[in-house]
Amino acid sequence: MDTPQYNTDIVRSFILWSVIWGLVAIVVGLVVSVQMTNPELNFPPYFTFGRLRPLHTNAGIYGWAVGVIFATFYYIVQRLCKVRIWSDKLATFQLWFFNATIIAAAISLLLGFNTSKEYHELEWPVDIMVVVLWVAFAINIIMTIIKRQEEQMYISLWYMMAAIIGVAILYLVNAAEVPVSLFKSYSIYAGTNDANVQWWFGHNAVAMVLTAPPLAMFYYFLPKTTGVPIYSHKISIISFWSLIFMYLWTGTHHLLWTPVPDWIQTLAMAFSLMLIAPSWGSVINGYLSMKGQWHQMRDNYLVKFLIIGITFYGLQTLQGPMQAIRSFSAFIHYTDWVPAHIHMGTMGWVSMIAFASIYYLVPRIYGKELYSIQLANLHFWLILIGQLIWSISLWIAGVLQAGMWNAMNPDGSLTYTFMETMVEMYPYWWARTIGGVIFLAGVLVFVFNLIKTIRGGESLVSSAVPVEGRA
Amino acid sequence: MDLGSILYLGVTFGLFVIFAWIVIKTYSRKNRDRNEEAKYRMLDDD
Ligand code: HEM
Ligand code: HEM
Repeated sequence: MDTPQYNTDIVRSFILWSVIWGLVAIVVGLVVSVQMTNPELNFPPYFTFGRLRPLHTNAGIYGWAVGVIFATFYYIVQRLCKVRIWSDKLATFQLWFFNATIIAAAISLLLGFNTSKEYHELEWPVDIMVVVLWVAFAINIIMTIIKRQEEQMYISLWYMMAAIIGVAILYLVNAAEVPVSLFKSYSIYAGTNDANVQWWFGHNAVAMVLTAPPLAMFYYFLPKTTGVPIYSHKISIISFWSLIFMYLWTGTHHLLWTPVPDWIQTLAMAFSLMLIAPSWGSVINGYLSMKGQWHQMRDNYLVKFLIIGITFYGLQTLQGPMQAIRSFSAFIHYTDWVPAHIHMGTMGWVSMIAFASIYYLVPRIYGKELYSIQLANLHFWLILIGQLIWSISLWIAGVLQAGMWNAMNPDGSLTYTFMETMVEMYPYWWARTIGGVIFLAGVLVFVFNLIKTIRGGESLVSSAVPVEGRA
Repeated sequence: MDLGSILYLGVTFGLFVIFAWIVIKTYSRKNRDRNEEAKYRMLDDD
């Protein structure tokens, strides 16, 4: 195949911007972390916890994770379909509109415009920008798939299409709102319906942004890195369809013990438990793909990122269903246990796979050898240790918090006041900040390694890694 | 159960039937080998 026909410029640009937004997300994450231990570091009105926290989550999910999705999907779709992307111009428009949307989102959040729906905080004018952006992306990817030169569709393409269609449906349904001024709107749903739609959106956003796309990347970059095919394409297909089928019903596990009808809660609980099967279908498929290749865990830094990443996905998809059980939820809901779950997912699973994908792509699209494998290994250990400190300390904090909230005196009164339980959290919140600093140090090593690779790395012409032609 | 919940469960069941059909089709003797081809072909797409 004649490689120079692929558009790699767009992949480069999206990598660059996703890394920039990723850094913003992490730095703001650290700021909100410190604000919890040192409330005097809140600077009203713009730089308070209430405004910076959504900035952190939006930059993390929509800047970093979605930026990497754009970069990798454009790379993968061209190769799996063996054609150039449908429209270069549309992709370039999408790149700049993506940045404009993230900037508009950041400014509006800092100014305090917020729908108060988690992960869907952006007010209606920015909502419209998100829709335009996603439609441009969807058209380009789907048209490329339609004009593909390969008859069979590899599993990554299925996950990509699900993500594209899924996000579009979720976002539009949850965005149904009545604007009352330029920056204020009200949801068209009321009461429990509103909550139910919001968490149908919320959890499926986890499915369509933080699960399906990293799986598409994992299924593509693991065999490319090890040089051997995945264990079973059929298992991957069945896992895919069952994941899609089951995820739809799980959103209400965020609303256990609320006025949402009991039977919907039970359905969500049952489907959350069933989700273990398709999730572990992918994890086991990944492990079995390593048969005879386990030595690469030591020899190949990329395999380390990918396999530890999928392992965190496995842990995440055991812990998640556990949290969806009513009795367990009664214990950990509203505690610090939940952010620990989330960050094992975002820092462990999503970011590990994202880093692996970028390490795979940069040498190929720039035609340069990676500047330093030692630094890549250092990066791996720093982000692993940082994330573990983050999550483990908050799991302990969550259990402690839940225990204190539940403690009762013989006369039935509560043993601890709320403030007493808060004071107990400080050491764990400090540990989280330390974990975050270590994680950030790892990411800075990664950025340094990339800059050195791009600026001055050795040319790949003589190496075993094939160079991708420029557009 | 009101009409809304019957509809909700009906859609769930309908999707389950579609899912079962996909499983049968994927593992049918006719498609068994064909469905593994893509994993080999993706290795030489560079
Ligand atoms: C089988 C898969 C999973 C199930 C059943 C599941 C279940 C849950 C449950 C029950 C909660 C609510 C906890 C509470 O507030 O009490 C939750 C929260 C969350 N999970 Fe998972 N989880 C799964 C996988 C994942 C993955 C792979 C990620 C990826 C990062 C993730 C990210 C999140 C996020 C971001 C939230 C926070 C939502 C909020 O802001 O309240 N989950 N999950
Ligand atoms: C150094 C790394 C990071 C630090 C220090 C950090 C810190 C924080 C803090 C302090 C919170 C607020 C928790 C609370 O309200 O109790 C938070 C929430 C959150 N962060 Fe991060 N974060 C980091 C990385 C990331 C990344 C890379 C992502 C996404 C890709 C992410 C996604 C989220 C999400 C979705 C929430 C909402 C959690 C919830 O609703 O409970 N974080 N983070």
